[in-house]
Amino acid sequence: MSSGSNGARRVASLLRPSIIDSSVCRSCQETLGRRSYASAAPATEATSASTSADPAVKPAYTINAGVVLSRPPQITRELEPFEKAFFFYQKRLNERLALPFTKYFYFKRGTPADEDWKKKIQERRTAARDIGKYNAYDSDAWNDELLLGAPESEPEHQLEALVRDAESTANATSQDTSKKEEIPRPFPRITEADKKNDQKSLDRLLSRTLYLLVQSKEGHWKFPSSPVESGETLRTAAERTLAQSAGVNMNTWMVGFHPVGWHSYNPPKKSADTPGSKVFFLKSRMMAGQADLSLNTQNLKDFKWLAKEELAQYLNTQYYSNIKNMLADR
Amino acid sequence: MTTNSPYHIFRKMAAREPSRYLTRALPRASAPSIRPQGFLARRNVSDEAPARRLSDHFTDLESASSLSTAVPESVAKSFDPLARAAARKGQLPRGRTTVVPSTLTNLRRHPTPSSRLFVPGPFSAPRAEQTFESTVASDIMTLCYVHTPPGFKPPPKAPRLREWDDSSPYHINRVLRGPRGGDVLRLLRKPIKFNNIPEVERITIHSYVKNAAAERNSSWLHVAGIAIQAISNVRVETFKSKSNVATWGIASGRDSVAVKAELKGENMYHFLSKLVDVVLPRIKDWEGVKGSSGDSSGNITFGLVPENVALFPELEVNYDMYPPKMIPGCHITLHTTAKTDKDARLLLSAMGIPFYGKIVN
Repeated sequence: MSSGSNGARRVASLLRPSIIDSSVCRSCQETLGRRSYASAAPATEATSASTSADPAVKPAYTINAGVVLSRPPQITRELEPFEKAFFFYQKRLNERLALPFTKYFYFKRGTPADEDWKKKIQERRTAARDIGKYNAYDSDAWNDELLLGAPESEPEHQLEALVRDAESTANATSQDTSKKEEIPRPFPRITEADKKNDQKSLDRLLSRTLYLLVQSKEGHWKFPSSPVESGETLRTAAERTLAQSAGVNMNTWMVGFHPVGWHSYNPPKKSADTPGSKVFFLKSRMMAGQADLSLNTQNLKDFKWLAKEELAQYLNTQYYSNIKNMLADR
Repeated sequence: MTTNSPYHIFRKMAAREPSRYLTRALPRASAPSIRPQGFLARRNVSDEAPARRLSDHFTDLESASSLSTAVPESVAKSFDPLARAAARKGQLPRGRTTVVPSTLTNLRRHPTPSSRLFVPGPFSAPRAEQTFESTVASDIMTLCYVHTPPGFKPPPKAPRLREWDDSSPYHINRVLRGPRGGDVLRLLRKPIKFNNIPEVERITIHSYVKNAAAERNSSWLHVAGIAIQAISNVRVETFKSKSNVATWGIASGRDSVAVKAELKGENMYHFLSKLVDVVLPRIKDWEGVKGSSGDSSGNITFGLVPENVALFPELEVNYDMYPPKMIPGCHITLHTTAKTDKDARLLLSAMGIPFYGKIVN
């Protein structure tokens, strides 16, 4: 391509009326100004020259990078009463519709396992171990609904039934009758931290997402955030903020490079010369470790790990209403 | 004319006492108004105190759900369905509300528990599904976000099927040409938003049993079918050979050579959990799923050899029941709603399936 036509294009791009919207940020303006790879360079040169022309204009807002550091749920949620009842009903219904258990295939006659099986089937009348006393092939099999206050549909009750069954099988079939077999139960859903309501602990509220909240020396609570320095991207600024506020003793993962939400702070009208601030929050996941504010350089004094509803008690109303939609329900 | 609107009361009050109200109200009253003055004398519904507030309508409803209402102990104790049934003289009349689907199509669509097509369930809320909903889905949406500034218009794309150049009269009405480099039209990938986050759709477990035809012995296929059924909790289908291979001794349409189970919903998520948490970590020297695996439309396949299939807890608890040499290997296809393999790999690696090697597409 000759230089003559290139120069003509540059002149044309200067003469063309600007399509740039003033509400669009500078990096986005470059994206918009870029038409194709061939004509990209002259177009962006023209726009960047026009936008960076006036250095005297003071920014109305400082740009801050915030981190929403969250510990995802560790265990399943609590079931609703309806779900418990529904799942239990479906289990008994399955028992009615499935073919009967083929005992001879699994137990050889005369073995300890066979004796143990006979004892159990007499007790609970069905092959399933977690649906209570119910025989699907009986004449009163229609009576499959639980009465009020029956514990059989509770997950804890079903778990206990399974564990006791496994224990009695182990005891009945083992050679050593002097020793009692103990099968370990799963860890409880309610931890020590839950009982003490230790809001600094990551073991609290295992079925919920917990978010890291920090308190500044002035006393207000917020997500860790600090101004973006020159030459930094939002992501690097967020990583720096996290390291400077909650320490490096955490294994975290930044989710993507884009903010998931933002909060804008306008200063009161009296102090009109001080700029407001806009905080753009990046999402981050907690893998291991714990927050440590002892070496922080962000002027912080305290931190807490809180679930979504608990955040509302600590954050101011405007802040909470800005951030609440980017948080997970569970 | 009644003048009891708050505004009039205020004006009367202001006229009666020469207070600060008067000084404020006078210029306002004498100012020219756009509204006609008679409008102010009109009575509105909103002027009067409402006789019946909206919340009054709800007092007829019960405040608590039936699940949380306390039933007296005596009432609960006195209810004994078995005793009531025994005390009943005759039989109960046949239910009037029993719906009998008229056609087989209706039966397939809405099977009632009395039909043989009915499959009960679900029996639980799978953990893998809950993890996906609470954690993985929102992370994928964040990762796949692409920022387009306001006013951005994507550059126009060339049509997916190319026109003929009309250099020949035979081009008239000829079907359009496929894309360059192959005539397969790939799936269109739309930007990932809240309503099209990729998720696991179904899982297919397929096992080709070589010896089933070669040895003329159906027990190979039976064992394979039972083993796949045990690990998947789904009835398997068997398939006959489609091709003739004389050296393997298979003829098309004659020999049943493969079993397949298709998992959806609860079964699928439980199988995925078992795979990710129990089986895959115990495979020795396994690097992961190959990065080049996939059909370019978001479905990833990998294989397990018989020793790995035997690691499934359902086979392990009564390993003695299966003839060891007949435990099958299998191919597992993870079908996702992602449109590209890259998105599918993002989803599956978040769900816990490792990938290795050169990542393709």
